[in-house]
Amino acid sequence: MDIGWYLAVSALIFTIGAAGVLTRRSPLVVLLCLELMLNAGNLALIAFARMHGNADGQIFAIVVMVVAACEVTVGLGLIVAMHRRKLPIDVDELRELQG
Amino acid sequence: MSSVELFAWLTLLLPLAGTIVVALAGRRLSGRGAGYVATGAMTLSFASAVGALLALQGLHHEERQVRAVAWDYASTVGIDAQISLLVDPLSVFMILVVAGVSTLIHLYSIAYLDSDRGYVRFFAFLNFFVFSMLLLVLAGNFLLLIVGWAFVGAASYMLISFWYRRTTATNAGIKAFVINVIGDVGLVLGTFFIVRHTGSLDFLETFEGIKSDFSPNDADLVAGCVLLLVGAFAKSAQVPLHTWLPDAMEGPTPVSALIHAATMVTAGVYLIARMHPLFELAPTAADVGAVIGCLTLLIAGTIAIAVTDLKRVIAYSTMSQIGYMIMAVSAGAYAAGLFHLMTHAFFKALLFMAAGSVIAAMAGQQNLDRMGGFKRSLPFTYGCMVIGGLALAGIPPFSGFFSKDEILLLIGDRGGWYWILYVAGYVGAFLTGIYTFRMIFRAFWGDSVPEALELEEGHMHHPDVHSNPANGEIEDTEVGFPGPEHHIAEREPAMKIAMGTLALLAIVGGLLQIPKVTHVIDHFLEPTFAESALYERDPSDGLISFGLILGTIVGLAGIAIAYVVWVRKPGMAARVRARLRPLHGLFANKWYFDELIGVLVVRPAQWFGSFAQQTFERVFVNGVLVGGATGLVRVGSSAVRAAQTGFLRYYAAMLVVGMVGLTMYFLLLS
Amino acid sequence: MTLHLSFAVWLPLAFGVAGLLAPPRLAPKLALAGTLLVLGYAIAYVIDFDSANAGLQHVTDEIWIGELGIHYKLALDGLNLFLVLLTAILWFFCTLWASFGAWEKPRLFYFHLALAQTSVLGALLAQDLALFVVFFDLMLVPFFFLTGIWGGAKRVHATMKLVIYTLVGSLLMLTAAIATGVLAATGEDGLSFAFSDLAQRTIESSTQNWLFLAFAAAFLVKMPAFPFHGWMPDGYKAMPLPVLALFSAVLSKVAAYGFLRICLPLFPDASEHFQTLMLLIALFSILYGSAMAFTTTHARLILGYSSIAQLGFIVLGIFALNSQGAQGAMLQAFNHGLVVAPAFFIVALLSARADGSEDIRDMGGLGMRAPVLATFFLIVTFATLAMPGSSNFVGEFLILLGVFQTKLAIALIASTGVVLAAVYALRLYIRTMHNRTGPRVESRELSLRDGLVLVPLVLAILAIAVYPQFALQRSEPTVTSIVPSALEEKAAAAPLPEASP
Repeated sequence: MDIGWYLAVSALIFTIGAAGVLTRRSPLVVLLCLELMLNAGNLALIAFARMHGNADGQIFAIVVMVVAACEVTVGLGLIVAMHRRKLPIDVDELRELQG
Repeated sequence: MSSVELFAWLTLLLPLAGTIVVALAGRRLSGRGAGYVATGAMTLSFASAVGALLALQGLHHEERQVRAVAWDYASTVGIDAQISLLVDPLSVFMILVVAGVSTLIHLYSIAYLDSDRGYVRFFAFLNFFVFSMLLLVLAGNFLLLIVGWAFVGAASYMLISFWYRRTTATNAGIKAFVINVIGDVGLVLGTFFIVRHTGSLDFLETFEGIKSDFSPNDADLVAGCVLLLVGAFAKSAQVPLHTWLPDAMEGPTPVSALIHAATMVTAGVYLIARMHPLFELAPTAADVGAVIGCLTLLIAGTIAIAVTDLKRVIAYSTMSQIGYMIMAVSAGAYAAGLFHLMTHAFFKALLFMAAGSVIAAMAGQQNLDRMGGFKRSLPFTYGCMVIGGLALAGIPPFSGFFSKDEILLLIGDRGGWYWILYVAGYVGAFLTGIYTFRMIFRAFWGDSVPEALELEEGHMHHPDVHSNPANGEIEDTEVGFPGPEHHIAEREPAMKIAMGTLALLAIVGGLLQIPKVTHVIDHFLEPTFAESALYERDPSDGLISFGLILGTIVGLAGIAIAYVVWVRKPGMAARVRARLRPLHGLFANKWYFDELIGVLVVRPAQWFGSFAQQTFERVFVNGVLVGGATGLVRVGSSAVRAAQTGFLRYYAAMLVVGMVGLTMYFLLLS
Repeated sequence: MTLHLSFAVWLPLAFGVAGLLAPPRLAPKLALAGTLLVLGYAIAYVIDFDSANAGLQHVTDEIWIGELGIHYKLALDGLNLFLVLLTAILWFFCTLWASFGAWEKPRLFYFHLALAQTSVLGALLAQDLALFVVFFDLMLVPFFFLTGIWGGAKRVHATMKLVIYTLVGSLLMLTAAIATGVLAATGEDGLSFAFSDLAQRTIESSTQNWLFLAFAAAFLVKMPAFPFHGWMPDGYKAMPLPVLALFSAVLSKVAAYGFLRICLPLFPDASEHFQTLMLLIALFSILYGSAMAFTTTHARLILGYSSIAQLGFIVLGIFALNSQGAQGAMLQAFNHGLVVAPAFFIVALLSARADGSEDIRDMGGLGMRAPVLATFFLIVTFATLAMPGSSNFVGEFLILLGVFQTKLAIALIASTGVVLAAVYALRLYIRTMHNRTGPRVESRELSLRDGLVLVPLVLAILAIAVYPQFALQRSEPTVTSIVPSALEEKAAAAPLPEASP
C-alpha cells in the first residue's frame, strides 16, 4: 500500500493526541494523550522502516516505547504523589513554579 | 664630596635627626631633656651652617654655586628632578639666619613650654620645621623647592594646632594649611609654565638658559612668574592671601616667633630673590610683586593700629615688614631686602619672645586692653621690647633703621612710578612707629593691672579656672591644652640668654650694611646675583642723606604720636575712635578680607557641596542613573518573566506553536 | 623555584581551596600563607624586572580555545608590574587584618578572598582580550558573596545595586570585546584575541568609537567615576572593612589599567576623538568627589568620595594622551592603592574607639592618648592629600604637567582639586583626632597587633615617597612605547620638553 495512508493515520492520531494534551485538565488524560502522540510517532517509524526495507525504524520504535514506558512511570508516580498530598488533580491549579 | 657639600648636608639633616631622636626617645628623656636634645641638634646644625659659610668663602668667586646631589627623585619622561641642593651665597645666608634664630628660639622654648604635656611633641615638630625650612632654601630644583615649601606648611599647621583640643587652634591650623596649599598649587602651575620652555627643573640649568628660552615679558614667563608670586604671597602672608597669619597666633608664642616672624613667612622673599633671573626678564610680574608688597605694608600697618591682641599687633607688623621685603626684591634691591629679612628676624623674634613673657605673666591672656604697667615687674622683658620696638620703628643706630632705609633708598633710586612706592614706604614707617609704641605703652606703662601687681609682690598670677583666652571656653591642663605653669624671662636663664642675644643682634646688626661705609652683605651675595642687571646700584649721596634723615624723623614722629595718644592724654584714643568710627571699623575688622573670602570662596564651595549632597546625588545619580539602570533591568526581567506563567498547558502550547513555526519555516524555505 | 606567572595567579586559589577543606581554625592561616607566597613572588618579579625592556617579560603563551583564537597568555611589563606588587602587598595585609576578626563560615570567607586575588592577578597579567574579560568579570563574583553574606546593614540591597550596575558595564565590554576580535580579523591571519596581535591590526575609526565607549562604560563604572558612581555609597557602607579596603584600593586600579592596556593601544583614533569627553568626566569626578568628600560625615564615604576624586586624577593623566600624564597615572594608581588601604584600616581603628560609630560627628579628640596612632594617621592624611614630599604629589605633578601640555584650561581647573583634597583630608583628621573628645569616645593607643598591619604599610608609603624613581624608572619604557605609539601623527607636533642632558 501507499505509505501516504499510514502517514495520514499517524498524523491524525498525533493531532488527536496533541489536542488532548492542550485541552484536557486531568493529568491522567494528558499522559494518555501523550501516549497517543508517541504511538503515532511509532507508527510513522514502522511505516518508513517497511518502505525502506531495513529494520532501523523498528529498532527506533522499540527505543521510543522504552522511553514512553519510563516517562509514564514517572508521570503516574507524580499523580500518586499529588493524590497523597491531597493536591487538586488538575493541571491548571498546579502553577506554583511561575516567575 | 667637597666640604661645602658635606656641611650643607649636615646642616639640613641634623634637625631631621633631632626630630627622629626626640620622637622615638622623647618619653624616656625626663623633664626638659627633649628640649636639650632638640636645641643641641639645632646648635650643631648652626655650626655646620657656619662651616658651610667658611667653606664657601674659601672657594673662588666664580665657583661659589655648588650642587650637591643625592639620588634621582623623578627623572622620567622629560623631567629631571633629583634630590639636589644648591649651595651658594644666597642659600648660605638663609641657612645662617634660619639656623641661628631657630637655635635661639629652641633655647627660649626649653623654658617657656616647660610643664606643657606636649613638650616632647613640640620639640619634635619644631626640629622638623627647621629641617623643612632648610630644605626649602637649600633646594636645587623646582620640585624639591615645592617639597620643602609644602613641608614648611605642614609643620606650620602642626604647630599652630599644637593645642589641638582648642577648636580655635584647629580652625586656624586648617585655614593656614589650605591657604598654603593654594600657594603650592600656584608654585606647581608656575613651574609648568616655565618648564614648558626650559625643559629642565634644575635651577642652575634654568637660569643659564633663560635668555635663550624666553623673550622679555614673554606671556608664558609672566604667567609663570605671577603664579610663583601667588605661592610667595600665600606663604609670606601678603594681601589677599594673608588671612591665615593673624589666626596663626593661636600657636604657642615660640611658634609665632620662629615661623610667623623670622623664617617661614620670609620664604616668599627668598623665592623671588632666588628666581631673580626670571623676574628680571618679566618686569610685569616683578611690578605686580612690588605693588602687592606696597599695598600689604600699608594695609597691615593700618590694621596694626586698631587691633587689641598683643600677638596680632606683632603679626600684622610682620606682614607689613615682609611687604617691605617683597617690594624690595621685586624692585631689584635684593641685598637690601635680604638684609631687612635678617634684621627683621632678629628684632621680630625678640618682640615675640618678649610678648610671650608678658602673656605668661598674664597667665595666657593676650588682650592689650587687659594689660598695663608691666614696666616695673618685668624690667628685662620691657628692655628687650623697647630695643625690638626701636629697631622695628627704624630709629638709628638700631639695625632696622639701616635695613629699611636701604630698601627705600634703592626703590627711590629706580625712579619712575616707583616714587609712589617710596612715599608709601615712609608712610608705612610712620605707621610702624605708631603701632609699635602703642603696643609698648599700653602693655608696660600706665597703671599696673592686677596681674602686674601680683608680680610686683613676687608671685605669678594663676587663674583658678583655665580657659581659652579667645572664646572663654573652660579647659584643663592635660595634653592638647596649655600646661599649668607659665614662665617669664625674668625667672628663666634660658629665656634671658636667647632674648639677650637677639637684643644684641638687633642693636648691632645694622653695622653690616651702613650706606657708603660697609657693604658686607652686598659683597657676600654678589656671586648669586652676578648676572643681575639691577644688583649693582649707585644712588646719589643726596638721596642717601635725605633718606636717612627722613627715616629718623618719620620713626620718631610715630613714637611721639603714640606717646601723646596713649600716655599723655589717655582719653584721646577713645575720642579719635569715636570720631573716625567707620575708618576704625575698617581697620579693626582687618579690612573685611575674611568676610570677602567667605563670600567669594567659602560659601560657593559649601553651596556646591550641599547641592551635590542634597540634590544632585539623590535626584540625578541615584534617581536617574542607578534607578535607571536597575529600572531597565527590572522592566526587562519582568517582561521576560511574563512568559513564566506556571501553566503547564501554556508551556505545551508554546512548544507546539514553536515547533509548527519552525517546521513551516523550513518547509517554505525549501 | 621558577618565576612562572601562572604560579602567582593560581596560588591564592589553590590555598583558598585547601582552606575550604581544612578545619575552620586553619583557614585564615592558609589564606595568609598563600598571600605571603604571592607577595614573595611579586617582590621577586620586581627585583628581576629588566627596566630597559619596553616589551613583555616572563611570557606564558598557550593556545586555549584555538578556533576562537583565544590564548592563555600572561606577561609582565612596566604597566602591570607595580599593580601586581600593590595587589600582593595589600592582599597580604588585608588578609592579616581580616584574620584579627572572627567571621562566620570562615573557610568560605577566606576562599572568596583568595578567589578575588586570583582573578585580580589574572586580569592584571592577562595579555589576551578574552582572558582579560573573563578575569575582569570573575573579579566581581567573590565580592558579591563577601558583601552579601558578611556585610553590614542593608547588604543585600547594596550588593544587588553594585552587581547589577557593574554587570551592565561588563556586558557592554563583553560585546565590545567579541566585536573587537571579530572585526580586527579581517585579514589573512585568523581570529586572535591576543593584545599583541590586536594592536597591530587596525579597526575602522567609526567602529572604534562605539567599541571604546563600551569599554569605557565598564571601566568607568568600576572605578567609579562621576556620574556612574551611584552604587558607591551603599556599596561602601555595606562591605566589611577589610574587603572594602581591597575593593577600593585594587579593583579600581584594574579599571584604570584597562584603559592603558586596551583602550589606548587598540582604539587610538577613538581615544583621541573622545579625549575631551573623558577629560571632562575626570574633571567632574575630581570636583564632585571632593565636594561630596568635604560635606559628608560618614568616615567611609569621605574616603569613598575621595577615591572618586583620586581616580579622576588618574583618568585625567591617562587621557592627557602623552607620556607624562600616563606615567603620572601609573604612579598614582600604585600610590592611591597603597594609601587608601591603611586609611580604611585607620577608619576601623577610629570606629572601634568611638563605640562602633563611623560618623565623624561622634568622634573627636581621639588623638589625646594615642600619639603613635595620631602620627601614622597624619602621615596617611598627608599622603592622601598628595602633599609635596609624598609620592602622590609626584604622580599628580606628572598628571597635571601632562594635561597642561594639551588642555591648559582643564589643568588649571583640575588643580583646584588639589586644594579641595587638602580641605577634606585635613577635615577628616581634625574632626576625628583633634578638638574635644566626643561623648562616646574612648581614646586609646595603637595595639601591637594593629601595628603589624599599619606600620609596614606606612613604611612602604614613606619608602616610595623618598624614592619614587623606583617605580617611575620601571614603568617608563612601556608607557612611552604605548602612549606615543597610539598617537603617531600627533607625537611629532606635541610640545613635549626635551630631556635635559
